[in-house]
Amino acid sequence: MVEPRAIEILPDRPAEEASPSGASLRLEAVSKCYGSLTALEPTDLDVRPGEFFGLIGPSGSGKSTLLGMIAGFVPPSGGRILLNGEDIVDLPPYRRNLGMVFQNYALFPHMTVAENIGFPLRMRKLARGDIEGRVRRMLEVVRLSGLGERMPAQLSGGQQQRVALARAASYDPALLLMDEPLGALDKNLREEMQYEIKRFHREIGATVLYVTHDQDEAATMSDRIAILNHGRVVQVGRPRELYEAPATSFVASFLGEANLFEVAVVRQAPPLRLRVETKDGLTMSANQHPDFKADAVVCVRPEAIQISANAGAAANVVAGRVLDAVYTAGSLRYRVEVAPGRVVLVRRPLQRQTAVIEVGSPVYLAWDIADTILIPNP
Amino acid sequence: MSGSASALARRGAFASFVGLCFTYLLLPSVIIVPMSFSSQSYLSFPPSGLSLRWYQGLAADPAWQAAAMNSFLIGLPSALIAVTLGTLAALATERGGLRWATTAVAVIVAPMMLPHVILAIGLYPVMLELGMLRGYLGAIVGHAVIGLPLVFVSVSAVLKNYTPALELAAMTCGADRLRSFLHVTLPMIRMGVLGGGILAFAASFDELMLSLFLTGTGTRTLPRLIWEQLNDFLTPTIAAVATLIFSFSLLLLGALAVFGRIGRSMPAPLALATAETAAHG
Repeated sequence: MVEPRAIEILPDRPAEEASPSGASLRLEAVSKCYGSLTALEPTDLDVRPGEFFGLIGPSGSGKSTLLGMIAGFVPPSGGRILLNGEDIVDLPPYRRNLGMVFQNYALFPHMTVAENIGFPLRMRKLARGDIEGRVRRMLEVVRLSGLGERMPAQLSGGQQQRVALARAASYDPALLLMDEPLGALDKNLREEMQYEIKRFHREIGATVLYVTHDQDEAATMSDRIAILNHGRVVQVGRPRELYEAPATSFVASFLGEANLFEVAVVRQAPPLRLRVETKDGLTMSANQHPDFKADAVVCVRPEAIQISANAGAAANVVAGRVLDAVYTAGSLRYRVEVAPGRVVLVRRPLQRQTAVIEVGSPVYLAWDIADTILIPNP
Repeated sequence: MSGSASALARRGAFASFVGLCFTYLLLPSVIIVPMSFSSQSYLSFPPSGLSLRWYQGLAADPAWQAAAMNSFLIGLPSALIAVTLGTLAALATERGGLRWATTAVAVIVAPMMLPHVILAIGLYPVMLELGMLRGYLGAIVGHAVIGLPLVFVSVSAVLKNYTPALELAAMTCGADRLRSFLHVTLPMIRMGVLGGGILAFAASFDELMLSLFLTGTGTRTLPRLIWEQLNDFLTPTIAAVATLIFSFSLLLLGALAVFGRIGRSMPAPLALATAETAAHG
């Protein structure tokens, strides 16, 4: 049985392995205001050549505005957008030479699959023979050979999305923008397409900027992720970095699940330990941190917590009572009351021999010292 | 069993009700047809004898031929103007992101709601001032005002079926605004444009009030000539003209239906079936 901590079992993927044909993208103080309303505060972002870069955040966080500005649909209020070092802010969308995949595919309904894929090449006035050859190759890449003469309406959702990928990449753009490309698909197909898009990315080697509101999707696919909230980039990093060292409590709770505790008192506890008292009256140990003070937040992941009837000898032990236990595919989720009104979420992988702890039983929650995650500036 | 019998009765009752509605709608128009083949010199139904003399009379009368020609000379250009402006207006209100789009829509469709006599009375002094009264140009401009909302409504309805993302997609593919319109937008909305154009032409062909005010003896249209003749002599000539106009309108409707059939790429169930075989195969 595999631990459901999908993010931790994924190997780190260095961006260096990607093909050099992708472009670098650099945002310098790019901002957008609508009247007095700020959609995006001045934002800096660096996307490396060939990188698969995720852009996530709740709706209204500014991620679609950001994508629209890179595509050229939305004029920025300020700042520079550098594609391979060249400022593209003043270029119209049709001169930016980038590819885009839309949420609802946006395939031209009156053109065949082959005509859709060949459209960007036709706009670039390629010779007919060249267009045919490239379309055939793109159909192979997205595994739709033989379906070129179909109309988009005759294809399934997943097939339409693959056509959209092929069209966006048919002229070898150095940057591919994807705006929630899997948002319209059902769950199983979405997971299949995640691998399909990753394979596609490896094959074409372009830099990909991938917008989604689904943090699992972003974590599974991205080399690095930028998390946006309220029109600001809150944190940029590899999925695992964001998960293990969230910069804010928003990041901690947006990427995965989190038990957050507000800190009342911090004490030094040699050797190289901190003793943290939370405002709920709990005490826990954490690793040393240079500037960790009261009013900060600590985070403990639900899957990092052991639950048992015995106290054991772990660094952090908290007594509580099981409020409820819910079975979800592959794991059990407990809600445990550890202080009046304070509930801690615990998630345990479920194996055949795992005994379910009864609701109402007194239990001990235990976790490692390194699993007390310190968030200095919530 | 009694359930299915009563269901059958209900369906029969519904069918006769629908039939009654069709009769009510069509009978007044159809009744003119036998009257035009009458051998008598006054309008009667049913005609006591059959003849083609009224059609022969029409063919021999230059006034009717001139009026028919005028109807085309005014109807075609006014439909062309209505198609151009109506399509542009629909694009602006549906895709332009205008803050006052709803107000603009109300103003554009207003001539459709307004009694044509008010429009005619308003246009009369304007055309007089411009020296365009009783000429072709004045009538063409006036008729275009009536056709424009028809094109606008028909194109807007089609545009609503397509997401604006299609035009954005065309632009990221490298198409500038003009080519994005020619290659993507226009092919998608062509049925709305064509249908709106046919409606605008039919509206002009049918328009009496504006023609009464704006045309003169040299430019009078078919409806105006019918109107003038009705005052003087009520012969089956009128019925013959009406029958010809009726047939012509049917022809236009037929054209619209045929183009509509071609416009749809494939019936939905067939498309679904092929999608399924594609998914499995």
